[in-house]
Amino acid sequence: MSALTLEGVTYRYPATRAPALAEVSLTLERGEVMGVIGNTGAGASTLLLVAADLVPRVLGGELTGTVTRAGRGALLLPTPWTQVSGMAFTVQHEVAFGPANLGWPRERIAAAVHRALERVDAVHLEERDPATLSGGELQRVILAGILAMQPDVLLLDEPTAELDPGGALAVWRLVRELAAEGTAVMVATSDLDALPDASDRVVWLAGGRVRALGPTRTVLADEALWSDQQGGPGSTAVAGVWRRAGLPGPLPLTVAAALERVP
Amino acid sequence: MRALHPFTLIGIAVALPALAWLLPPPWGGAGAMTLALALCAVGGRGAGSGVLRAAVLTAAPFWFFLFLLHGVGGMAATGLRLTTMIASFLWLIAVLPPGRLVEAMVAAGWPAGAAFLLSATLSAVPALRERARNIVDAQRCRGLHTRGGPRARIAALRALALPLVLSALHEVDERALALETRGFSGSARRTPLEPPSDPAAERVLRWALLLGLVGLLAWRIA
Amino acid sequence: MSAALAFENVSYDYAGRPALAGVSFAIAPGERVALVGRNGAGKSTLLRLVTGLLRPATGSVSVGDWNAAERRPDELARRVGSLFQHADQQLFARTVAEDVAFGPRVTGIPAPEAERRVQRALESLGLMEVAAEHPYDLPPPWRKLAALAGALALEPMLLVLDEPTAGLDRRARARVAEALGKRADGGTALLVVTHDLGFAAETLERALVLEQGRLARDAPLGPLLADGVWLERQGLVSPPLAQLSQSLGLPGGPVREAEVADALIQRCST
Repeated sequence: MSALTLEGVTYRYPATRAPALAEVSLTLERGEVMGVIGNTGAGASTLLLVAADLVPRVLGGELTGTVTRAGRGALLLPTPWTQVSGMAFTVQHEVAFGPANLGWPRERIAAAVHRALERVDAVHLEERDPATLSGGELQRVILAGILAMQPDVLLLDEPTAELDPGGALAVWRLVRELAAEGTAVMVATSDLDALPDASDRVVWLAGGRVRALGPTRTVLADEALWSDQQGGPGSTAVAGVWRRAGLPGPLPLTVAAALERVP
Repeated sequence: MRALHPFTLIGIAVALPALAWLLPPPWGGAGAMTLALALCAVGGRGAGSGVLRAAVLTAAPFWFFLFLLHGVGGMAATGLRLTTMIASFLWLIAVLPPGRLVEAMVAAGWPAGAAFLLSATLSAVPALRERARNIVDAQRCRGLHTRGGPRARIAALRALALPLVLSALHEVDERALALETRGFSGSARRTPLEPPSDPAAERVLRWALLLGLVGLLAWRIA
Repeated sequence: MSAALAFENVSYDYAGRPALAGVSFAIAPGERVALVGRNGAGKSTLLRLVTGLLRPATGSVSVGDWNAAERRPDELARRVGSLFQHADQQLFARTVAEDVAFGPRVTGIPAPEAERRVQRALESLGLMEVAAEHPYDLPPPWRKLAALAGALALEPMLLVLDEPTAGLDRRARARVAEALGKRADGGTALLVVTHDLGFAAETLERALVLEQGRLARDAPLGPLLADGVWLERQGLVSPPLAQLSQSLGLPGGPVREAEVADALIQRCST
């Protein structure tokens, strides 16, 4: 059974006529990483909120279609400082917030917290007050807080926005590791260069609809990402320069792929 | 002081203003106020005088207005009580980390929502102060004059207060989502991570305070 | 002609710890400079010194012919347009246009001229379609663009920006790159803190690198983007086009898309 299934999902935020998602259907499998791409406002964040069972439950609004989940999901939002619980004065307690809410016994929480902090390379921040952390450090700590809950479906909204490129690479590696362990991952990102290595499939949302859905290497090589009349999200930098140079053949997505094509 | 159980700290912070109100003015009020200010002086983490100064500065305008309205006598009576209240509250915020209060409430079986409401109110203050500082900096760098005559300052207030309120309000939805996804309003009973210890002596003290206040109230009414 | 921005042996301490030590550099009008360094290296301190929020402990900071230490931030705003982290928290007017007009209005630019500058700023960032909207009705990335428009509308001689492209999609990033490029062509100096090296490669030419409060490098940006070892030490990664350029040994080591494309065409037609 798939980790997450959406069938014909249409969702409108409260008091809004235009739907944020329209007739979206997709499945997410265990152990798979699916990238969500699209322009700002195309519905990527909303898709994650629906997948996380946060809308319409918390924000209201109207949802039609069906959403089926196997297991528990957790969502990482893009702005770390709005996700601080306000009830923890050490990073350790901040990360333990989720597991504590789930009612786990103390030993299990301690182990999960330590493991999560190790995975995001933040063990050295354990005793710090979350209010004193930089944006990048805080984003890693909040991610650890989500990982400590050991979700079956991990939903990430721009997880690398506050991180420097070294930190971003570490997150993408971690995403791959988690998928290899069986977690289903859906990640919305504007860092398209990372997707060929980090994701198995990609869904392109435009105006709340699924414009394309398929293996990463297929979707990101689509010319339409560039030439779409409303202005698409584009693709990787390498694909962009290949297209700009007007070189023949399918667009290569990575440096390695381009090197194979150039004499 | 910080090692005391959060409920004890709250007990003291409530008892002092209550004493100021119940004991006969002005000496009762003066006594309670002195105690409260003394707590402020030793309370803050490495910045005891900061809390004391905040208490005095916050209370000062009230004394002024009370003098205008009631003359010296009325000013003293109410001023002492108000100052005790302000000082007690500021002391409480300085010595009680919200996280510890929440742990105490959770361990005592309070519903998570109530615990959160209280701690969020308390922890919002430093976060908002930080944001206010950022906004002041940003607006000054856009050309906002923060000195000058009263009219200039009132105009400046709009450019400082509005963004603070708007941006904070705007985040409420996101905060609700973030808490929700971390299981906050779930049905499971929250595991206390580090419940503060509650020695018998402190529990006795709290009961004594409560009974003392009730007794005092009864005596005053009679 | 005086430099747009000059630091002469500037030092600053935060509670006994040196945040900046002996930093000296000069940026000419129209120069496009990236400010790079790990967290804690001193970048925010440097920006705050430029905008007058901090005064140097030693040395001098000059914006044009003004000594920044002798000016208040609101005076310096006439010459320095800034964009800080959390810039979207500074918005408060009823419409985007009104908010963008705040800076010009408050720095005393006469109304018709201010209006012209606001329009120009909105157009350059593609915000005309949302000019009449309430800022908080826009998604966060667009709020950041609105804040940037506010800085552009001051038409200052120097723009200091902290991560202007973080969180923006491709189109918005391209608009920012184009808008900043045009300003630089018109003589505005740019000092941009960024770890978006793809954007830096397109828009900026020179790199000031801070390491633990000291200016460790002051060099052209292109060659640095190909230096994998140095980049890793800074917690950075070579952007894909620079990697491609280096792997193929493209002549001149181009890093901008247009130039890499040209070099590729040359290479593939031989």
